[in-house]
Amino acid sequence: MDEFNDNEISKLLRLKRYEQPPPGYFENFLHEFHRRQRDELLRQPLWRICLDRAHEFKFRFPVRSLASYPAAVAAVLVCGAIISLKIYQQPETTQVALQSPPALSTPTSTDAQWTLASPGATRTFRMQPLHRFDASTQTHWATTPPRYVLDSVPVSYEPTFRF
Amino acid sequence: MSRRSDSRSASCHLKWREGFLFGACGIGIIAVIFCSGESLLYAQEQSAAVISHEVKEIFERAGKAVVKIHGLDQHSPICGTGFFIDPTGTLYTAYTVGGEADNFTVEFAGQKYPARQLVADIRSGTAMLKIDAATPVLPIGKSEELEVATPVVAVGFPLDLAQTPNFGMIAGFDHKYLGRYFSTTHLRVNLPTQRGEAGAPLLNMKGEVVGILVSSLENNSSCYAVPIEAAEKIRRDFVRFGEARHGWVGINVTEAPQPVEGSRAEMAQIMDGTPAAYSGIKRGDILLSVGRKKVTQPEDVLDASFFITAGDIVPITVMRGNKKLTFEVQADLHPASKNLPVLPDGTQLPAAAAADGNHAIPLKLDSEAQRTP
Repeated sequence: MDEFNDNEISKLLRLKRYEQPPPGYFENFLHEFHRRQRDELLRQPLWRICLDRAHEFKFRFPVRSLASYPAAVAAVLVCGAIISLKIYQQPETTQVALQSPPALSTPTSTDAQWTLASPGATRTFRMQPLHRFDASTQTHWATTPPRYVLDSVPVSYEPTFRF
Repeated sequence: MSRRSDSRSASCHLKWREGFLFGACGIGIIAVIFCSGESLLYAQEQSAAVISHEVKEIFERAGKAVVKIHGLDQHSPICGTGFFIDPTGTLYTAYTVGGEADNFTVEFAGQKYPARQLVADIRSGTAMLKIDAATPVLPIGKSEELEVATPVVAVGFPLDLAQTPNFGMIAGFDHKYLGRYFSTTHLRVNLPTQRGEAGAPLLNMKGEVVGILVSSLENNSSCYAVPIEAAEKIRRDFVRFGEARHGWVGINVTEAPQPVEGSRAEMAQIMDGTPAAYSGIKRGDILLSVGRKKVTQPEDVLDASFFITAGDIVPITVMRGNKKLTFEVQADLHPASKNLPVLPDGTQLPAAAAADGNHAIPLKLDSEAQRTP
């Protein structure tokens, strides 16, 4: 309790005495509150959000009771195994056929070039991202749409006729 | 018999003549009405074409110096408008765009330039940014020459759309809005605006900047603009001191019961420790002028005092009884000034607290005092 002397406490109280919210604070309060709430949510890493969701799911549904049916679990596992085997055992020729370019297409090095190879004119685009993002600068702002500024009240404000 | 038949034929002839005259007059009147209507329509079309041509010309000329500003504030990325005021890349924008954000980039001539904040002033509602490039410039006009119904043009970037001209007219010169007094008179403009156009230049029909768009009104059908003189005052301060330095004398003004020499602005309080306290001005004096600005009502004080710069000597004329007195007062720094958080005893005072309290901040000026006109 004695960490602060009277002088410091009186200084702090003086500061508090003159505190007042900035202009427009109460008008924008609800809007700001929701915005900050969203921001707080987005500030968490993705894995954490997923974990929270999983926890929530666990409490909502009786996962444990479902897990007590070993036959059901085994069936799910077997189905999964069969599906995965089918996928991996598909012939390679199909993949090659899918990956190879059409026989009549023009070289893809040209950017946005018109070609008359097919009966209908087709346009081939070089699929390359317009902007290269630095992973370190990728924050949640990158996904937030910009706020186009034009307030409903001017910020200029004079409390009294003082000069 | 012959006499009777003569008189009958004469009266018949007269009737025909009258009928013919009436008919001719009617046709004439209809023709006149038709022609005047046509000419009116033609005149209207002509004037609309002239206005359209002028707006287009201003838009094409001014558009080169109007830029889109991107920034990042504590909530999200922001977008606004700005315009260049000197060829070295200095630009004006609204405080809401360039005041409290950072990481600015400016879209100019198809490229993006990083920008830095030079000064931001909440009292005027403006901010100055700078990019390192040679830029076109908008000429600065005079908002004092504007009148109600003067046509004006604004050029801005609404939402994520391309540069857009807006045409409207001056609707009024307001001291306050919704019970809040402005630090200086704002131009109310009947001109449709959209989000993203904060900081856009308001131009007269010569293409000169007369204001900066700072806020919209109901339904975005009209807006408020800060007079360009307010922004220019901040620029002058920045050039002299490197920051905005609003002046402060330390007088509270109220409405006098009766006008004296045409003024109802009565000194209600002379604050202790302020320049006014040492100047000889007394409570009850009637304020007639601050600098060259005449004061007739307490509201006039806001506009008159906004242009005082801290450190300048301000002539203040008052009426005391039957005597007209002029006091020369050296203005101190306004308590609401942003860069003055420290009181003489070392207490750090937030700007909001200083704005509300009756504190004057004693000022140590590096440069010599100048006279406020």
